[in-house]
Parts: sequence; C-alpha cells; structure tokens
Amino acid sequence: MAIAARGPSTADVVRQHLQGRRIDYKGALFQAAILVALLLSLVILFVLISQVVRGGIEVFQERGFDFLRGRLTVVSASIAGVGQGIAGSLLLMAFVVLAAFPAGIGAAVYLQEYAPDTKLNRFVNVNIRNLAGVPSIVYGILGLVIFVQVLGPLTGGKTVMAGGLTLAVLVLPIVILTTMEALRAVPGSIREAGFGVGATRWEVIRSHVLPAAAPGILTGTVLSISRAIGETAPLLLVGATTGLLATGGSGFFESLRGGYTALPVIVYRWTSLPNEDFRALTSAAIIVLLLLTLSTNAIAIILRNRYERKW
Amino acid sequence: MTVIRATGFRLLFVALALALIGSACADQSGAGDTGGGTAGGGGEGELAGQVVVSGSSTVEPISVAVGEKFIAQNPGVDVTVEGPGTSDGFELFCNGETDISDASRPIDEEEVQACEKNGIEFIELKVGIDGLSVITSVNNDQVECLDFHDIYALVGPESEGFESWSDANELAEKIGAGHAPYPDVPLVVTGPGEESGTYDSFAEIVLEDIAYEEQGIKEDDPVIRPDYQASANDNVIIEGVGGTDTSLGWVGFAFAEGATDTVKLLPIAEEGDDCVEPTPETIQSGEYPIARDLFVYVKKESASRPEVKAYVDLYLSEEGITSVNEVGYVELATEDLEESRQAWEAQETGTRESS
Repeated sequence: MAIAARGPSTADVVRQHLQGRRIDYKGALFQAAILVALLLSLVILFVLISQVVRGGIEVFQERGFDFLRGRLTVVSASIAGVGQGIAGSLLLMAFVVLAAFPAGIGAAVYLQEYAPDTKLNRFVNVNIRNLAGVPSIVYGILGLVIFVQVLGPLTGGKTVMAGGLTLAVLVLPIVILTTMEALRAVPGSIREAGFGVGATRWEVIRSHVLPAAAPGILTGTVLSISRAIGETAPLLLVGATTGLLATGGSGFFESLRGGYTALPVIVYRWTSLPNEDFRALTSAAIIVLLLLTLSTNAIAIILRNRYERKW
Repeated sequence: MTVIRATGFRLLFVALALALIGSACADQSGAGDTGGGTAGGGGEGELAGQVVVSGSSTVEPISVAVGEKFIAQNPGVDVTVEGPGTSDGFELFCNGETDISDASRPIDEEEVQACEKNGIEFIELKVGIDGLSVITSVNNDQVECLDFHDIYALVGPESEGFESWSDANELAEKIGAGHAPYPDVPLVVTGPGEESGTYDSFAEIVLEDIAYEEQGIKEDDPVIRPDYQASANDNVIIEGVGGTDTSLGWVGFAFAEGATDTVKLLPIAEEGDDCVEPTPETIQSGEYPIARDLFVYVKKESASRPEVKAYVDLYLSEEGITSVNEVGYVELATEDLEESRQAWEAQETGTRESS
C-alpha cells in the first residue's frame, strides 16, 4: 500500500502515454538526423551524376555511336573514343569470371563445408578477411611480379591476360567471403535432412546446399565484377596502355597477349590532359563506365530475385 | 522450370569453359613478344610488327600524334604509346622492353650505364622544346617579373614555412634577388609533385645551382620547399594557382598558355632585370631561361626493323614534326632539327648531351 501511494499507478502512466501530448524529442531528433544522413548521400550522388551527365551528354549527341567505337588517344579529341576501353574492360571481366569464380567458390565450399574447425583453418579464415581489405595497388605490385615477370612467358608480359589475372586475384577474397556467407545462410536442417536420407556429403552439397545458396553466391560474385571493372591503380602497374593503342593486324586471340586498355584507365588518363575537349570526353567515358557497372549490378539483382528462396 | 534453368546454367558454364580452353590454345600459337614481325619491307602500308613507345608523359602526346599519322598510313602495325615518366621509361628501355623511350631530359649517367650493362645501344634524337612557365593568378598585379634568385627565395628549400611573400624579403636580400622586397600578401604555392618531370626540370634549371653552389645546401637534398600544394595533374595546378590572387606556381608552357584566362605567365630573368616573356619565339631561341629539350631515344637494334624505322622516319619528317606544335610544344630551330635528322640518318649512337 505504501509503495503504490508514492507515485502514479502503472495504469495512470500508461494512460498518460496514450492520451497525453508528450512529444518524443529524442526520437524526433534521431529520425531527423538519419534522414539528413540519407539526403546528404543522395545529394552528393545526384550532384556527381548530374555534373558528369551535363559534361558528357553532348559528346553522345554529337558523336553518338562513333564515340563508343573510337580509339584511345591523348591528342585528337575528335577521333578519341572508348571502343578499346570497353573491349578491354569486357576482356578483363571475362578473365575475372573464368579465373576468380571457380577458384573462389571452390575455396569457399571447402572452407565452409569440409574444413574442420581447427586453429589453422580459423587462421586462414581471418587472413582471407584481411586480404579483402588490402589496397588494390598492392595487388597491382603482386600482379607485376607474378603475372608480368615470373609468368611472363605464359602471359606475354604486360598484356590483357596479366591484367585480367591480377584483377581476378584482387576479387578472389571477396568472392570467397560472399560465397561463404551465402553457404552459411543455408539452414543446417537442409543438410541434416539430406544426410538423414543417406546422401553423401558431395550429394548434399551438390543438390541441396549449392542450389540453395546460388542466389547469394551469384549476387556476391557479380558485385565483385563491378569492383574489378572500376579498378585503375593495379592496371596501371600491369601495363594498361594510356597513350595510343593500335592493334594493327592481330586477331582476337593474339590480342589477348597484346597491349590493352580499360575504361577507368582511360578516364584517369584523360582527366590529366590540358585540352578542354577532353573534359567532355572524360565525362562521356565516365557515363559509359557507370552504365557498364550499373548493368552488372542490375544482372546481380535480377539473378537474386529470380532464384531467391524463402525459408 | 527449375530443371530448365539448371540446364541453362550448365550450358553457360560449358560454353565458358570451352572459351577458356580455346583462348588458352590460341595463346600458345600466338605471335611472340616485341620484334615478332620483321616481315613486310615492301611498299608502305604493307608493314607489320610492333612499335612500343614508353617514357615521359610530357613527350607522350607528340609520340601519340605521330603514331596516329603513322597508323593511318600503316594500318598493319601495332603501336602502343604510354607515359609513365622519363625515369620509368628509361628503366623499361634499358631492360630492352621498349623500342623507343620518350624523355623530357637527356639520359643520365646511371641510365647510360644500365643500358650498357644490358647491351642496349641507342640513338638520341631531339624533337622539341618545352618551356616551363612560372605562373600566378591573372588578378595578381603586384608581381611583374622574377629572376632565379627571387624564385629561390620564394619556393627554394629555405623558404619552408613562408606564408606571405614578404616573409622571403630577408632571404631575398641575403642572396641578392633582383625583385625584393615583395608585397605583404599571402603566398600560396602550387606545383607538380616530385614524381613529375616538370618538378625535376624546374629544380634543375632554376634552383639547383643556387642551392648547392651558393647556399651550401647538401647535394641531393631537395631544392624545392616541401610545404606546397603538389599535384600530378596540370589542370589542378592551373586551378590552384588561379584560385588565389597572390598565388605562385609553375607548369609546362603548353598548359599555361591554354589557360591565360585564369593564370598570368610571369616574365623571367635569369639574373637581374632582363625579363623575358615566355612565347614560342623566346623559348625556341633560348632567350627565355626556363626551357627544356624533349627527346626520343631509339634502340639501335629496333631501328633496323622496318616498322620502327618507318615510325621514326615519319617522326622527323615535316609531316611528323609539326605534331610538336599541334600538341602545344615549341618546335626546334631549323638547325637543331637538321642535327637530329643527321643523327638518325647516320644511326649515331650515344648521348651528345652532357648531363
């Protein structure tokens, strides 16, 4: 009795909260702050994109398809284009898909499904996480030593093959991590059910775990391609051409062991030119690069939506 | 549905795998490295093979411009031109990785030795001149001319920490700079970073003699103050200098000349009041004191390959050498160009520039 007499009863408090006009200042403040955070990033994005589009749109209006086919040069703005850059970036992408995906997904399946939980394996795990955070220029140096110098006879030195393999190594940790994450999200009951009806580990992984994890794996790997497309620094080290690239008579397969360039490298080079005309071209090249990145991201989203499963 | 999708995927992977195998096989049979094609030899337009040019990013546009004219005539030749910098270029060149090395300064002692060690002989060809401009904002009416000692007082190693032009007065008086005292206005210095050839040239032409010989700065110590806005991008330098009324900076003549709406090109005297405005004429004649010669170095061994020979022939021809002008540098005086042509004709190896 004495306790109840000291303050308002619980019922009173609840009633007050329901009917009273007490304003939740802290809550409102927090909501406003996060809204500002969101708007800020949207505004920055909008300013960036609108500037690039404003600067580059006229190039597309004037030159249109011609710009997409033009060659890399730092002299004649009227014939400069991103054709070789698009081709180079797509080739690099192909190398990433062919080299990093099988190796990365394989490593992830091993680490997640097979590897026993030993000290050594935990150490490996931590290191892969760290590798994902290593600056890309470091991978460039690695690529220069391994793919250009040591494996020079195979890759032909500073060629698109060396560049592609360097990018593949760069995204490998990301592929492994996202794949492991996707595998971990597959409920243990799925595996247990498989083992319960007498399936081997391989059968369970092949017909249950991998298909169930596929959307996550696909999303992660496709996103890692977008990362690879945007990289400049390592490519500069492993010999992406910045000035002029004429691939005279060589056919497609020979060109794999020839000089190359890539979209971000072109953007980087053109930015530092004094010629005013190249500013517009730079913006136009950025638009192309953005579209390429956005379309790979779109593929990631489509794949995820298509194969997504709810548990 | 799922069955169909799965098959689709399997097909995709099989296709990718086949593509990989296909490309791997083709790679084995692909052409070799540099120097693959010594074929051709017939009339123009039938040349094949590869010309690999690297080196100075300053000379890069000239080589690219010549390259464009070249591939228009010889569509069968692979030409790659890049510009990692003069020093990096010589490293590749003396390793035998490139046919031609662009340079914004003569090859130095160490580089000559590196080339000799690897048995690389080269033909040195002067192709153009690059004037360096000392610039300030167009709004700056307080400074009309500077001599080398003025520049030393304002951006030399002993000027570290000077935030106003007048901070340099004492130093300027001590070393006998021609245009002190300076106004008491903020001094904001913007220039190319250490990695740039423009940094090296500026230090060498303007500051090194004063620093090492007159001021007793230890040899090989930097001769430019460390506390300035450095950028590798010439446009950023121009913008930086244009952004502050009483700024000071230096940049290649081509860049400065194209931005006279934001920056003012200061007349320069080597000593005293003999101020010379940077113009194509004064740079060509050598009157304007801050100018550097631009070179290409051709590997002797490569020079015998028809595609490389044709490229250099074009470089030194009337049609090719106008590229120097087209990309914004200053053409050589007639006798200098003639000298380069003769050196090429005679395949004269070694450097004629003392460095």
